[in-house]
Amino acid sequence: MKGFGVFVVFCLASASAALQCEHRIPKIPDDWIDMNSVCVKRIKSHVMEELKAAMQYMAMGAHFSRDTINRPGFAKLFFDAASEEREHAIKLIHYLLMRGELTSGVSDLIKRSLMPSTMTWSDAASALRDALQLEASVTKKIRDIIKSCEDETDFNDYHLVDYLTGDFLTEQYQGQRDLAGKLSTLEKLMDKHGALGEFLFDKKLL
Amino acid sequence: MATLAMTYRISLYSKRTDCVLIWSYCDYAGEIPGIMKTFVIFVTLFALAACADECYKDVVAACNPTLSKQLAGIANCNAKYGGIQELQPDLQRFANHLFFRSFDFLLMATHYGNYIKNRPGFEKLFRGLSDSLWSDGIETIKYITTRGGQMNLNNIAKDLQDEELTSPSLELYEMQSIAKALDVEKKLALQAFDLHKSASGKKHESHDPEIAHHLEEEFMEKHRDTIRELAGHSRDLSVLLSGPDASLALYLFDQHLQK
Ligand SMILES: [Fe+2]
Ligand SMILES: [Fe+2]
Repeated sequence: MKGFGVFVVFCLASASAALQCEHRIPKIPDDWIDMNSVCVKRIKSHVMEELKAAMQYMAMGAHFSRDTINRPGFAKLFFDAASEEREHAIKLIHYLLMRGELTSGVSDLIKRSLMPSTMTWSDAASALRDALQLEASVTKKIRDIIKSCEDETDFNDYHLVDYLTGDFLTEQYQGQRDLAGKLSTLEKLMDKHGALGEFLFDKKLL
Repeated sequence: MATLAMTYRISLYSKRTDCVLIWSYCDYAGEIPGIMKTFVIFVTLFALAACADECYKDVVAACNPTLSKQLAGIANCNAKYGGIQELQPDLQRFANHLFFRSFDFLLMATHYGNYIKNRPGFEKLFRGLSDSLWSDGIETIKYITTRGGQMNLNNIAKDLQDEELTSPSLELYEMQSIAKALDVEKKLALQAFDLHKSASGKKHESHDPEIAHHLEEEFMEKHRDTIRELAGHSRDLSVLLSGPDASLALYLFDQHLQK
């Protein structure tokens, strides 16, 4: 009987020690959340596009930092680009959070099938060419989102369209111009001086 | 010529002198008559096969107008030494694991950033963990290439691939999310320990004190502090959540995390 008493006391003690880990989810009005679901879906999938670009640049950075390739300037350029693309993904996530989205289904936002298709490049110029192509395809995707989000007959998402146009497209066009300029300089340097041109240009990027 | 013949004889017994042979060949090349030259080239090729793993030999061959046509490049002039070849796949998986968890923490931060959860402190905590693993991943790639290796972004551990298919929920309550983060960080730290064990173990192929040292200095110390911090958070939360007002406690704790 004494043993049973101790057991009861123990149960009570452990019951009162249970942590209150979960809490009530408050009911908040949601008529301020006005994004079109198609638009939300497209922005969500664009988060993945930015992360895919990040990992593609990561592969470029990894390639050019190899000892037998030894182009530290290009490696730096591409590693920095990888982190920048990740920042773009985070910016889009923050935008969705600001608009009241991402209250559920967050776990599926990032699929890890990000692995880049290309992992080696014959030279720096071909990597720059790939990078420029990658940026152009991202730009096109952003334009497609803009088109579908302002075309919606029931809801023209002025703010999203403005944000994508002002922030994202500006960055795309600036980035593309920069890559194209670099590629041009490199090609001209390599016209007569081949390996020396790439060597010199790489050092300039450091 | 006498010197040359002598060196050749020695080279039959000692690997090290092979390199001397080629060196002297380069020095005397101008003075050797045609028939002798053919013989010397034959000997040199033999010597190259005998100690093929040296950069200098590659260079000598590459610089020689006759040999450079037969032998490809300077493949042995690389940064590889010690256990990198053996440990490279493990280091690649480690880097990919870091990226994988960096994304997990980014999603956990996202969850705390929505208007219903609205916990900027937790959002900041997980975002910080995500950023930190992201740069750890990049640093690991840089390290692999510093040691003459190469990165493979597709080399992902089987259990992570499986996890990707089931995609467990990362939308957790506060206490649970701290617990999850602690487990994740410990697992990464233990993976570094495993790598360290291979690098500092007795197995010759993977023995590499430099890799072990790098892991100690660049990962283990940082991860130790992260683990301690998360353990501290879970202790604080466990005390706060057993009190009378868990909601207020969480609010205050979140304020603390924002600092
Ligand atoms: Fe981007
Ligand atoms: Fe970009």
